[in-house]
Amino acid sequence: MDGYQGVLVCGELAEGKLAPITIELLGIGRKLADELGEKVSLLLMGNPIGHLGQEAIAYGADQVFVAEDPLLEVYNSDAYTYLMADLCRKINPSIVLFGHTDMGCDLAPRLNGRLGGGLTMDCLTLSIDPTTKRLISTRPVFGGNAHATLMSKSARPQMATLRQKIVAPAERNDSRKGEIIPVEGKIDPSIIKMKVVERLKEEVEGVKLEDAEVIVSGGRGIGSAQNFKMLRELADLLGGAIGATRPACDEGWVPASLQIGQSGKVVSPKLYIAVALSGAMSHISGCLGSKVIVGINKDPEANIFNVARYGIVADYKEVLPALISKLKERLSK
Amino acid sequence: MATREVFWNISYPYVMYLLAALGVAYWIYSLYQRYQLWRIGRPDECTQEIGKRIRVFIQTLLTEILTHRKFLRDPFPGIMHFLIFWGWIILLLASAVDAFTYYANLHLVGTPYLWFSLIVDIGGLLVIIGMLMAVLRRYILKPERLNSVFDDGIITALILIILVTGYMVEGLRQAATELKTHPEWALWSPGGFVFAKAFEGMDEESLRFWHQWLWWFHALMTIGGFVYVGLVFSKFQHILVSPLNIFFRNLGPVGVPAPIDIEKAETLGVGEIKDFTWKQLLDLDACTNCGRCQDACPAWATGKPLSPRKVIQDLKVHMVKANKKQTHSSESVPTLVGEAPTEEEIWACTTCAACQETCPVYVEHLVKIIDLRRNLVLAHSKMPETAQLMLRNMQSRGHPWAGIQSLRLRGDWTSEIEVKVLSEGDRVKTLFWVGCTGALAERNVKATLSMAKVLKAVGIDFGVLGEAETCCGDPARRAGYEFQFQISAEQNIETFKNHQIQEIITMCPHCYHTLKNEYPKYGGAFKVIHYTQFLYDLIQQKKLNLSHALALNLTYQDPCYLGRYNHLYQEPRQVLQALPQIRLKEMERSRNRSFCCGGGGGHMWIEEQPGTTKINQMRLEDVLKTGADTVVTACPYCLQMFEESIEHKGMKETLKAKDLVELVEEAMEATRT
Amino acid sequence: MNTIVCVKQVPDPEIPPAKFKIDPETKKVVPPPGVPPVISVYDERAVEAALRLKDKHKGKITVISVGAGKVSDVVRHALSMGADEGFVIEDGAFENLDSFGTATVLSKAIQKIGGYDLILCGRQAADWGAGQVGSILAEILGIPVVTFACGIEAVDKKLRVRRVVKDGFEILETPMPSLVTVSSEIGLPRLPAGMSLMLARKKQIPVWKPQDIGLDLSDLDKEKAHTEIIGLSIPTRKKECEIITGTTPAEAAIQLAEKLSQLF
Repeated sequence: MDGYQGVLVCGELAEGKLAPITIELLGIGRKLADELGEKVSLLLMGNPIGHLGQEAIAYGADQVFVAEDPLLEVYNSDAYTYLMADLCRKINPSIVLFGHTDMGCDLAPRLNGRLGGGLTMDCLTLSIDPTTKRLISTRPVFGGNAHATLMSKSARPQMATLRQKIVAPAERNDSRKGEIIPVEGKIDPSIIKMKVVERLKEEVEGVKLEDAEVIVSGGRGIGSAQNFKMLRELADLLGGAIGATRPACDEGWVPASLQIGQSGKVVSPKLYIAVALSGAMSHISGCLGSKVIVGINKDPEANIFNVARYGIVADYKEVLPALISKLKERLSK
Repeated sequence: MATREVFWNISYPYVMYLLAALGVAYWIYSLYQRYQLWRIGRPDECTQEIGKRIRVFIQTLLTEILTHRKFLRDPFPGIMHFLIFWGWIILLLASAVDAFTYYANLHLVGTPYLWFSLIVDIGGLLVIIGMLMAVLRRYILKPERLNSVFDDGIITALILIILVTGYMVEGLRQAATELKTHPEWALWSPGGFVFAKAFEGMDEESLRFWHQWLWWFHALMTIGGFVYVGLVFSKFQHILVSPLNIFFRNLGPVGVPAPIDIEKAETLGVGEIKDFTWKQLLDLDACTNCGRCQDACPAWATGKPLSPRKVIQDLKVHMVKANKKQTHSSESVPTLVGEAPTEEEIWACTTCAACQETCPVYVEHLVKIIDLRRNLVLAHSKMPETAQLMLRNMQSRGHPWAGIQSLRLRGDWTSEIEVKVLSEGDRVKTLFWVGCTGALAERNVKATLSMAKVLKAVGIDFGVLGEAETCCGDPARRAGYEFQFQISAEQNIETFKNHQIQEIITMCPHCYHTLKNEYPKYGGAFKVIHYTQFLYDLIQQKKLNLSHALALNLTYQDPCYLGRYNHLYQEPRQVLQALPQIRLKEMERSRNRSFCCGGGGGHMWIEEQPGTTKINQMRLEDVLKTGADTVVTACPYCLQMFEESIEHKGMKETLKAKDLVELVEEAMEATRT
Repeated sequence: MNTIVCVKQVPDPEIPPAKFKIDPETKKVVPPPGVPPVISVYDERAVEAALRLKDKHKGKITVISVGAGKVSDVVRHALSMGADEGFVIEDGAFENLDSFGTATVLSKAIQKIGGYDLILCGRQAADWGAGQVGSILAEILGIPVVTFACGIEAVDKKLRVRRVVKDGFEILETPMPSLVTVSSEIGLPRLPAGMSLMLARKKQIPVWKPQDIGLDLSDLDKEKAHTEIIGLSIPTRKKECEIITGTTPAEAAIQLAEKLSQLF
């Protein structure tokens, strides 16, 4: 479309550095821009952050807009929306990319409301339609039951938030050249209507069940609290968490907070190892979103094998020790 | 001629009458006060149909109370109460005869007098034996269900003292008179005779002195007894209050709560003691704390905090306390739930009705518990999380199974067999009502299909509602979610009417009870049949050809809502007996004493209190004792509960849970392919 | 304080996964027969949030819903939970509205209702889950928006909103009126149980047409939509489980370990 050009990535910082999602966005942004034959820019907001501009260039940005202002030190929806809308109106990007993060989820829809370009959230893939040169995105809908593919229409900028950790991060190349452009103008404090008055951190021991990429889950077949230790060993090895079915929690072998299923937590890790649990639907419903489910059960008829990707029909006590030692060996390589 | 002088050795006997009149007057006043207390409750329908009530009461009196039918189910306490009860009746009648003959100048003399003396003494002896049994049981054997309070001791001591002093008075009189003149007469009063012999050596003056003294003591103790009973409203009042309660008891089906009239209702369910009806409050006083209900309660047996006995007793204490606070001070009334009984207790009930079935004085626990749940759910939104999940599903999805708990949709089973699924405008006389569990739970669908096959095989023209069927409302109603029940009932009745349905065959005893006994109050009176009745009729008419031998050792689980709620004990058993080559061994607790599977009252979905034994596991032990290889039931909840407990016990290979209709289908040649 | 809650009717998300069907031609979900639509879960929690504020501060809760077909049931659900008033805005033209379109319709309805201190939306819908309507609506109305709330308090004519972030919570202060989107962490919505359940059954829910709220349908013209759904598919999920066998369970375990280590 006339006047709209280039891919703008909304950058995020993590502990003073470029956040991993920003490097992932620079990677995909680069690809999209190359297909369009346009530039990739990055917007960095914070105070002070100038030193990150060069690093962003190394990750593929052609231009880095740096907005430094005490009011931008921490994320503030009013300030960030204002600043970013202002920049977009100035540079007219064709595509604006955000991470599907706390910040992206809050900022992108507001910006869409302000600029009206169209936004797709939680994208799994992003590409350019070869004929229309418009942005095409895929995102899960209906609770992951279906995937929808969306294409932008005539409005610009075309915006998207990208799910974390699904595209490869951009490769660093320190020889790359680019421009660092300071964003002019101070933010008028009167536009800030809301303010953060308190931040509370939640302390969690180990990996949170909801965040775990690997979950080793046990059912009534485990037999005792003692036996759950074997599951924990496997979970620790894979950097994951342990979960349980309701009967196992009922028996008091593990705390109720580890219950997965209908009346417990709903999880979607990359790997879900279901040990000695039959796979009652009320449990399965809590882990169906898992990428790979492995079932280990004595009963070949157990329902878990209907949803599992891999299965072993055997007593878990004979399977887990061998599995643990082999995985140790493989992972240490 | 053998006789005795009434008021021998007693001067001023009218003083005794005067005091007795005062004592009895006080006792009557105490009853009146209590009546006022009951009146804080709401009105109750039980004052209607008095004529019918009198008839039923006389029937109950003759067949149950005089015979002690319910009491004697429990032999020791049954015999104990039987002895005390009949002993008192004899003593009371004898006193009446004594007074009548004395004042009518028709003195009993000669042989009739001797027999009379003997019967009176035996009456007293019966009471003493009964009371000694009571002492033995309450203070030495101490069964768990007995919860002794101070009043129990006082009453026991009082009765024993009155009786023993009665014999002593008699003995002293005999020692001073008959023993010297007609010692053979004394033998006809054996109780007195024992004492007479003991006092024989005393001189006449001492005998007269002690006789007079003890006579007044005996009289004052008796009069004092009336005053005491009135003063503390002792459980001894049960001799009057319990028959009153039996008179006003619910004559309709068991466990049917009253509808809530939203136009008039001031409170939803029972939040304060005055929200009960006066009959429900009368119930509290009729309870003698005997603990039979506690013994029968599956929740109590498995370690839950609920004891029906305790609920009633706690409510009674609360009733008195709340009333005192209300009338005597500005203090606010203590909250009902929490003080008595707690939420945990209220939610532990499976509504199995074992408590009501066993209660000799017809205390009605069930509706009270539902009324309390109603207030928690409707007015305070307080309920266990699992109850909330179930009720939420009922409200938004029309059935208690969370969508995802089931791999099925309501109408799915109809694609597995050819049946007439009613659509808009279709009319059919007979409806096969499947129920939520029968349509949605994988295991139960098998039984549903069996039933459909049997219906087809015998050539019945019937329809099903398929995906248009919704919950009958039972789990909602039992969980106190009355409005949702009402909505379900009204919708279903409208559906039945739209299809001009006259007869409904249900799979589930809970649906059966709800449709049959509860829908009429919402304008839906249909002929409702449980499938076991239907099969029984087919067998009677020789329309079922059950020729395929099954060779099974069965035991039968009486579903609560079929048995205790609707008295269908015989029909399912007759059907089982008609199966070729089966052996039916009853469990120790069966028929009206059957033990719940744990699934009723919403507990199919409401989680049992963690850390307690599961009711279904306890019941499975009963099954195992019979040595059966198959446990048969006629209720989808029971089937689910047994499947679960069998799996838990790891006995899937050796013990099967079956629905009765599955066995019928297996035995029918016609459905075999 | 007066609150307006926007709710959406969605196909029941709890239907068994195997029963989930789509029509790739029309790019629509085909709801299984006999399963009624429900209120979107987050919207139900938004109603709950409004009710909690009402429990404390009194005021009025108005519930609105936009739809192409009959959507009064979800508004009725909110009324049965205890909301005071409900409106639906229905028109065939509302079929396939994108987030901007929905927010536009809602903004017109809200301007008609007026007199609000707070607008609540669910953080996203349980069906398409675009997660933008609230923010766009706030931008159209020109009021602040706080997203992902798990607790809302009214203090001194301001709102204190507890907001869910990755590693904990933030507490924000925002003036009235503001728009707040509600996340599931706010807790279970109440069961519609009391008198309101019975009263809501009989309550009239006014239906507004576009002209009633001063909406020009050409504003929703398909060409003006920002995005278009060009495909809808069910992700293929391997239903066959590969049973790993070995002469001993340990041997099978070793093979499994090989396969799993490729995942990392």
